[in-house]
Amino acid sequence: MKLIIVGCSRVGAMVARAMEEAGHEVTVVDSNRRSFDRLGTDFKGQMVLGNGIDEDVLRQAGIEHADGFASLTNGDNRNIMAAQIAREVFHVPKVITRIYDPIRQDVYQELGLNTICPTLAGARQIHAMLKGN
Amino acid sequence: MYVIVIGGGKVGYYLSKHLLERQYEVTLIEKDPRRAEALTGAGQLGEIVMVGDGDEMAFLATTGMERADVVVAVTGDDEDNLVACQLAKRKFKVPKTVARVNNPANVQIFKTLGVDVSLSATEVLLDLIERELAGKEPAGPATKR
Repeated sequence: MKLIIVGCSRVGAMVARAMEEAGHEVTVVDSNRRSFDRLGTDFKGQMVLGNGIDEDVLRQAGIEHADGFASLTNGDNRNIMAAQIAREVFHVPKVITRIYDPIRQDVYQELGLNTICPTLAGARQIHAMLKGN
Repeated sequence: MYVIVIGGGKVGYYLSKHLLERQYEVTLIEKDPRRAEALTGAGQLGEIVMVGDGDEMAFLATTGMERADVVVAVTGDDEDNLVACQLAKRKFKVPKTVARVNNPANVQIFKTLGVDVSLSATEVLLDLIERELAGKEPAGPATKR
């Protein structure tokens, strides 16, 4: 599978490394060169320096042939926009986006995006742990 | 006619000012409290300025967005303008959404993603320059690339 990950955040880098180790063709996009350090020196995937909501940058990352796409920058709106470009403009079959704000996550899930909300997931887990099970 | 302007930079400020002069009902939304205060101050826009995030649903509900005729998003970030327009359209059923875009390529993308009108100052200037140059060079735009 050819995968594109926008945002070499902690999560982005971990997903990229894991998918690359599993034998997938991985391209990571980030606007800050230093973020790529998180991938480690043995990462064999492609790194593209640029803004993940820029169509030309995404083309350079090979989005026209991508099977999967995940937007994992630290900005909700940037993630939302990148994911929609992947889905609606380039018709990438599998698109996942991270949205910290639970309300916005709700809205965009309704609109058909595959979303993950770490705020909600974390809160639920902490709540369960506090209850003692 | 009720217009909500999102983003209190120079574009948002002058837009709101001229809309008010033309007797529109206007609310200007600005995220930064200090900037908002400057916009509210003496001789400025007064009480039409609201401090809040144009992408925050709970806050938008307090602006009376559901009765707005037009929402105009003019912040400096394309992604923020897109999300503001989409929330206005899908969640508050605003009939007309207008966005400012910085990257000219986003004009087409915004259209695909449901924004009614988007405008790129870069594109407008680019067209203007090309037209100016085309007038002076008999060979026309074909030779310029």
